Amino acid sequence: MIPGSERTPVDLGSLEPGTHLCAFHRDESQLARLAETFVGHGLSAGDQLLYVATDEQADALLGVLPDHVHTADAADALATGQLLVRTFADAYGTRRPDDLGTVADGFRAAAELARKDGFPALRVAAQMDGLAPLLGSAEEVLRWERMSTGLQHDLGVTSVCLYDVDRLDEEHMTSLAGEHDGLSPERAETPLASFLAVDEPWGLRISGEVDLSNRDLLHRVLVARAEVMPRLHLDVRGLTFADIGCLLRLHAVADDLPDDGWLLLDGGPAILRHALDVCGLGHPRLRLAP
Amino acid sequence: MTSSMTASPATHTGLFYGSDGQYSREVGQFLRAGLEQGHRSLVIAPSSRVDLLRASLGRAAAEVRFMDDSIGYAPQWNAYRVLLDFAAESPGVRSRVVAEQTLAARVPAEVLDYRRLEAAVNLVFADSPVDVLCPYDAGSLPAHLLEIGLRTHATVLADGDTSPNSRFDDPAALLAGLSAVVPPPPDATTVDCSGPADVALARRLVRTRGTEVGLDPEVVADVAMAVTEVLTNALLHGAPPTLLHVYQAGPTWVCHVHDRGRGPVDPLAGLVPPTEPSDHGYGLWLARQLCTAVDVGHDRTGTHVRLHMRVPPGSSGAQR
Repeated sequence: MIPGSERTPVDLGSLEPGTHLCAFHRDESQLARLAETFVGHGLSAGDQLLYVATDEQADALLGVLPDHVHTADAADALATGQLLVRTFADAYGTRRPDDLGTVADGFRAAAELARKDGFPALRVAAQMDGLAPLLGSAEEVLRWERMSTGLQHDLGVTSVCLYDVDRLDEEHMTSLAGEHDGLSPERAETPLASFLAVDEPWGLRISGEVDLSNRDLLHRVLVARAEVMPRLHLDVRGLTFADIGCLLRLHAVADDLPDDGWLLLDGGPAILRHALDVCGLGHPRLRLAP
Repeated sequence: MTSSMTASPATHTGLFYGSDGQYSREVGQFLRAGLEQGHRSLVIAPSSRVDLLRASLGRAAAEVRFMDDSIGYAPQWNAYRVLLDFAAESPGVRSRVVAEQTLAARVPAEVLDYRRLEAAVNLVFADSPVDVLCPYDAGSLPAHLLEIGLRTHATVLADGDTSPNSRFDDPAALLAGLSAVVPPPPDATTVDCSGPADVALARRLVRTRGTEVGLDPEVVADVAMAVTEVLTNALLHGAPPTLLHVYQAGPTWVCHVHDRGRGPVDPLAGLVPPTEPSDHGYGLWLARQLCTAVDVGHDRTGTHVRLHMRVPPGSSGAQR
């Protein structure tokens, strides 16, 4: 039995930023499913995703990802930098860090870079097989994970640590599970909407439905994108529903932009334009493509 | 022009005409008097009435904005939006508005809502610089429809003179009496929508069932939006459990949102939109702009909002 498997996996749709999760896999296909679910949800939420894995594991993820994310093209996510793939050595180095403060600095820099690149937050999915050899002992791995939990809460970096059960004894796996906030699910419901970064033109592709359950998620993505470039092209051709709360958030973001900024809505259902009109939520910086 | 900037309160007058000639004479005179005082004029009326007025006004008709009732009252509460938009074009300038629709074609849920609409005009637009004249065809309308006009207008127009209406009811009391709760029937389909994620499930149900009863895709999209907004109101401002019942009620298909929130609900809530962008206040306004009729009421079980959509004649959901 996989440690912690008696616990209910967390709901990825309602994760607090900074949640430190773990997951245990028995084979590569299970690893791919775990990674796909976590990465797919993170991309849909508009966050930047760092996948730390071997080339083969990354290829396996990219092969299944389009099934998960609304109209997403994994190649697009890679091209915009919303999805980053690194080997364990690239991400964590090849030598034992002098102290965990160095690790904290690396986390902090990565989180800051994500915001500078126009993403509201960073999420990391990391295949952790290389951690014990790097740190030297199972106790050091536990210490690292404990430190990471606190650090990620502070920085708002959400992650899943992916462990291969064949490389761990049961007692260690139980201890590892205890150092995390919860288990990441192997499967999860497809998010109601996805908010995917677009570079050319700068903006966002919004697909699916936006309502009370996810409109604040959209707002944080819009704010993050607008902080980098206050002229946002919103591709809403795949948007099938938006409630008034969503329109209010679009209005609020437009209102906060500088005078030379704008949000351009390209596409969207007819009811969206009608609702904007009926509710008087037009704004000079909220433009509608013809 | 100072006469057009008068700050006197709104007037809401009924006209009960018995012939085309009387209609042309009385309404034409009402509009001409306004034009002479520099007032702006708007007419929302059936095309046959518009033709009569154009003929009566002659060249002066060019100074009047005409809108067919099939647009101005589609749905009925759109008339408020038309009034607000018309007033917003020239803030502070007094307007004369003639408002009449083909009332005999309305189904019972719409007639009930029209009674609310007429009563609420006296409160919603009380401080606005507008004179509203509502003609009622006394020669053809049945008594229960004429009675709406008789109860909801403070003054009546006859032979060119406006006089107090002795049958006028206090609008607030009238509105309070029009908020009785109608419970869902036993065969209603009911879903629990007490969590934010349930709102999407509710939309799915509305789309499926709305299509099954024969609503047009655009109408289904409208009602999905209206249900979303009313459910969101219930989740944010009401109390669980929040239930959605869907069922047929004569010629309308009803989406009925019920939560345990404490009332009563202000009968004027959502009759006009917020004047500035606000976190709330749009739900009922939008629902009234999208649905055939909207009932809002409260009883000991909580708050009830019934959203009616007319079922097209001949469709699978058309009643019997």
